[in-house]
Amino acid sequence: MLAYTIRRIAQSIFVLFVVGLVAFSMFRFVGDPVDNMLGQERTQEDVERLREQLGLDQPFIVQYFRFLEQAAQGNFGLSYRQGRPVAEILLERAPATLELAFVSGMMALAGGIALGIFTAIRRRGFGANVVMTLSLIGVSLPTFLIGILLIYLFSVELGWLPSFGRGEVVEVGGWTTGFLTASGLKALILPSITLGLYQMTLIMRLVRTEMLEVLRMDYIRFARARGLREKSINFRHALKNTLVPVITITGLQLGSIIAFAIITETVFQWPGVGLLFINAIQFVDIPVMAAYLMLISVMFVGINLIVDMLYFAIDPRLRADRTSGGH
Amino acid sequence: MTQTETPPTPAPVKAPSRLSRAWHSDLAWSFRRAPVAMISAFVVIVLVLSAVLAPLIAPHDPFNPATLNLMNGFTPPGEANAFTGDFFFLGTDDQGRDVFSTILYGMRISLFVGFAAVMLAMVLGVILGLLAGYLGGWTETIIMRVADVQLTFPAILVAMLIFGIAKGITPPEYRDQMAIWVLILAIGLSDWVQFARVVRGATLVEKSREYVQAAKLIGRSPLSIMLRHILPNVLNPVLVIATISLALAIIAEATLSFLGVGAPPTKPSLGTLIRIGQEFMFSGEWWILFFPAVTLLALALSINLLGDWLRDALNPKLR
Amino acid sequence: MKPALLLAVACAIATPAVSETFHWAGTTDPNTMDPHAGNSAPVLGFLNNIYEGLVRRGTDMAIEPSLATSWEPIGNGEGWRFILREGVTFHDGSDFNAEDVVFSYQRAASEASDVRSWFASVTDVVAVDDYTVDILTSNPQPIFPDSIANWMMMDSGWTMASSADLPAPGEGNFATLNANGTGPYVLAERQPGLETVLEPFEGWWGEERGNVTRGIFTPIDNSATAVAALLAGDVDMINPVPVQDADRLDGVDGVRLIRGTEARVIMFGFSQDKDTLFGTDDANPFLDVRVRQAVAHAINVPAILQTIMRGSAEPAAQLVGAEMNGFSEGLAMRPGLDLDRARALLTDAGYPDGFSFLLKCPNDRYINDESVCQATVAMLAQIGLDAQLDAIPVSNYWPELREDNYDMYLLGWSPGTFDAEHPFRFLVHTPQDNIGTWNFGGYSNARVDELIPAIQSEIDPVARQAMLDEVAATVQDDVVYVPLYIQPLLWGAADNIELTQRVDNFFILRWVTVE
Repeated sequence: MLAYTIRRIAQSIFVLFVVGLVAFSMFRFVGDPVDNMLGQERTQEDVERLREQLGLDQPFIVQYFRFLEQAAQGNFGLSYRQGRPVAEILLERAPATLELAFVSGMMALAGGIALGIFTAIRRRGFGANVVMTLSLIGVSLPTFLIGILLIYLFSVELGWLPSFGRGEVVEVGGWTTGFLTASGLKALILPSITLGLYQMTLIMRLVRTEMLEVLRMDYIRFARARGLREKSINFRHALKNTLVPVITITGLQLGSIIAFAIITETVFQWPGVGLLFINAIQFVDIPVMAAYLMLISVMFVGINLIVDMLYFAIDPRLRADRTSGGH
Repeated sequence: MTQTETPPTPAPVKAPSRLSRAWHSDLAWSFRRAPVAMISAFVVIVLVLSAVLAPLIAPHDPFNPATLNLMNGFTPPGEANAFTGDFFFLGTDDQGRDVFSTILYGMRISLFVGFAAVMLAMVLGVILGLLAGYLGGWTETIIMRVADVQLTFPAILVAMLIFGIAKGITPPEYRDQMAIWVLILAIGLSDWVQFARVVRGATLVEKSREYVQAAKLIGRSPLSIMLRHILPNVLNPVLVIATISLALAIIAEATLSFLGVGAPPTKPSLGTLIRIGQEFMFSGEWWILFFPAVTLLALALSINLLGDWLRDALNPKLR
Repeated sequence: MKPALLLAVACAIATPAVSETFHWAGTTDPNTMDPHAGNSAPVLGFLNNIYEGLVRRGTDMAIEPSLATSWEPIGNGEGWRFILREGVTFHDGSDFNAEDVVFSYQRAASEASDVRSWFASVTDVVAVDDYTVDILTSNPQPIFPDSIANWMMMDSGWTMASSADLPAPGEGNFATLNANGTGPYVLAERQPGLETVLEPFEGWWGEERGNVTRGIFTPIDNSATAVAALLAGDVDMINPVPVQDADRLDGVDGVRLIRGTEARVIMFGFSQDKDTLFGTDDANPFLDVRVRQAVAHAINVPAILQTIMRGSAEPAAQLVGAEMNGFSEGLAMRPGLDLDRARALLTDAGYPDGFSFLLKCPNDRYINDESVCQATVAMLAQIGLDAQLDAIPVSNYWPELREDNYDMYLLGWSPGTFDAEHPFRFLVHTPQDNIGTWNFGGYSNARVDELIPAIQSEIDPVARQAMLDEVAATVQDDVVYVPLYIQPLLWGAADNIELTQRVDNFFILRWVTVE
């Protein structure tokens, strides 16, 4: 177990190195930050001095190792655009993204499980087929289009919900939350639906498939034969066995919710890390881009690692044999 | 640009013919009993055909700038333009391009990108999955860790990274033509992991089966075991994933175009058309967004419905 | 617990009935609060509410007294003397005097400053007494006061105490996030990229000020979202309104459109110092003035203005608009659309069948920039020119232009001094270290190079205008650029908001009244 753990962690760290290297090699193609930092009356001399000052005159490998060296000391540098520590900016933006991810994750989980059970139990029913078809409409439209349509309908035409931002936020111990104000809660609705719809469909389909598999199992048949009530079979036996893979997949999906938040945050001007990243690309704010990509990678690799370790702990035979159950 | 819309059938692999026949007749039987699948298939066929035959069907050639008249811009559908008197069935966009023709040509690009990207992802994923599952050891570790790296970034980010690098190293004069190939590469490379994981999982299961052990004992080469014994058994899930991936790839192309890293506006795909159209959503020119969006929805939805049906139909346990 | 808190917050929002909160949104967040670290319209425009210069521009853009009450030239063009306003205090309570002006000069003219170029001709700034300052120049600078309206005064004490004595555009410092000006509004809160809050400065010396008690600026970079926010009543004012949404905003109850003309001229430039077309060994046809003329006659500017710009923009014939100082009245006609003439010119130049070339454009810099270029591709196709359009984000655009990766390109220019000399200095003069820095095409004309410094130091307005006219005529005859149109200024505001629009796109909060 120990040897496996160490090996797995070493591999994860290596993965992070590679990710960083790829990311840094890309930065040069995004553009030149110096042009955005100086006004139209700047001279070539000004440009070169600033490039040198930022270390941009160095090859990207050198820039990368400088970044790693600093990052190892917990210092992600200063944002070109805002002139303050990137870590501070990320911490400031993180609550917005995490709250959005949490609400849409919960919505996806609750809605997905409920609809999944419904469609599994009434597999041949009309209602279930309608739900299945509707759910496909949700995944057949790009997220950004769903967001824009929701804004058009609920903000512009009906005027019920805010069109952008987080509304009024309250600061509780360094964490800004939108949960405590009416406008904050209202502001969460449209972005959460936009972000959660896709995951909800995924979970619904997963629950349905798992339920259908479980319902065919021998022990369920025995339970039926023993005359247990249908409801009790469905919920006490079938659902319980369904939930394990569902929770695993949801955990794995958490990362992709945060990543997909990029698009939702752009459409709704949601002040989270995703919007920060998109703005950083436009402005070629290399320190912010680097820190964001590293953060996301650490998160994904971490989730992967934990899941692997859990599987290993539960059943060594299953080691590394977790195939994606999403489809 | 030819459309290769032949579905990935197991034809190149000599699967046991009895199995194959049963498989097909079963599928056909299930198809006949699923009106949704039939309608979806019909829609897909119509859309694909009209995309392939776009040069014959489309009243205008939106990719030829010399034929455009800017004064035709923003003509509403079914009305004659106030200045030129020209008539357009679905209206025109900001450049005076016929929306109907542009959708047909745009769909051609979207479908081509989608098919090619899925093909790339599938070939890559199946090969790597087979190798990882069958050989194990270091090969497996490397392939699956690369898959981890890939999963580390969400598909859309991977695609953006690849797009960024490819655009950076392409000379500017080729960028217009390159954009489509870069999209294919970006989407294809961001999507192979799913195939690899499923194939590897199935390979691990099949590997321990008696018949594979037997084949090994009689000295069959690993290549022949992989191709003749393992591959046919993983084709069903691969086919299902490929269908759903096709819809996902078309949507990914649209999303990339929305983020401004997709097909250029001079040769727009459906996604580019939607990006252009959404700028005019509030100003009253709804048709520039509406028709491409509906086309995209119809295309993706019917492919998804087909994939859905296929998944159920190919999973005997669920029948 | 939770309902109670909810109630408390609701009350907090509802109670102060006298306060007039004003919410506005723009596409770009000012990237610094340091007036010497960023020379861009978003930064200088925003900081005009917090900081002040010796002079400022009024609603009609004319120079008027601000921290200086009067000024006069010294001797025969040796410099300018400014008499400072007495009794002015900074937001932190310290007094404003000549020492702060000298300090602000040293800071703004320092190597790391982004506004250094304004002081290229300044040799020294001397505090004659507490309220008199002499600014000495190496040669006569007749329009010097016009060129320093955005040179903002910082308090030497506050700046030194917070170790922000030099601007730091790269790494940032205390002044990047904090501000201490003399202006009508105090920086109450600064969350870069999210929200910036301004509140009135009670000790301000001036009187004309609207009734906004809390101004909140939010950057919204997606203009469709901004329009939705205005229509939904989430913000009171947005800048800009996308041209396509202008008419719709005009028709909606409760909001209105404020239409104006920006100082920015949009134009096409050409590669004029390379022998070959980009990426080929073919001779560069744009070296021939007839080819450039053909392009000018092939572009249907009225059609662009009517469809893509929706009738919101004015055509341009020169590098500046007619409202600018030094505009050449006799050269106000732009080349008309004449396809036959264009084809004839191409034939004369030896390209009867046209040629293929690379057209470079930004896709997120100017209003509908990409659409304009796309339309241009179609128009040039009419005379057989095959333009390969490469439209890219602005962060890549300037580096690509600097590396000469184009044959023809789109450029917008807004004269910072509101004077016709400004674009000549940057776009027409032969490129050198600190002049002609935006002349990417490399046009070079000895006579023009000779006239530009002469214009800069000419005191007699008639002689100056004659020289400006000569350069403008040369630029037109040589088709150094093909000016297309002057970019419109489109702001959207709720009906209960009174405001004034400035042609340089600066948003001045003290001109806002909430009714």
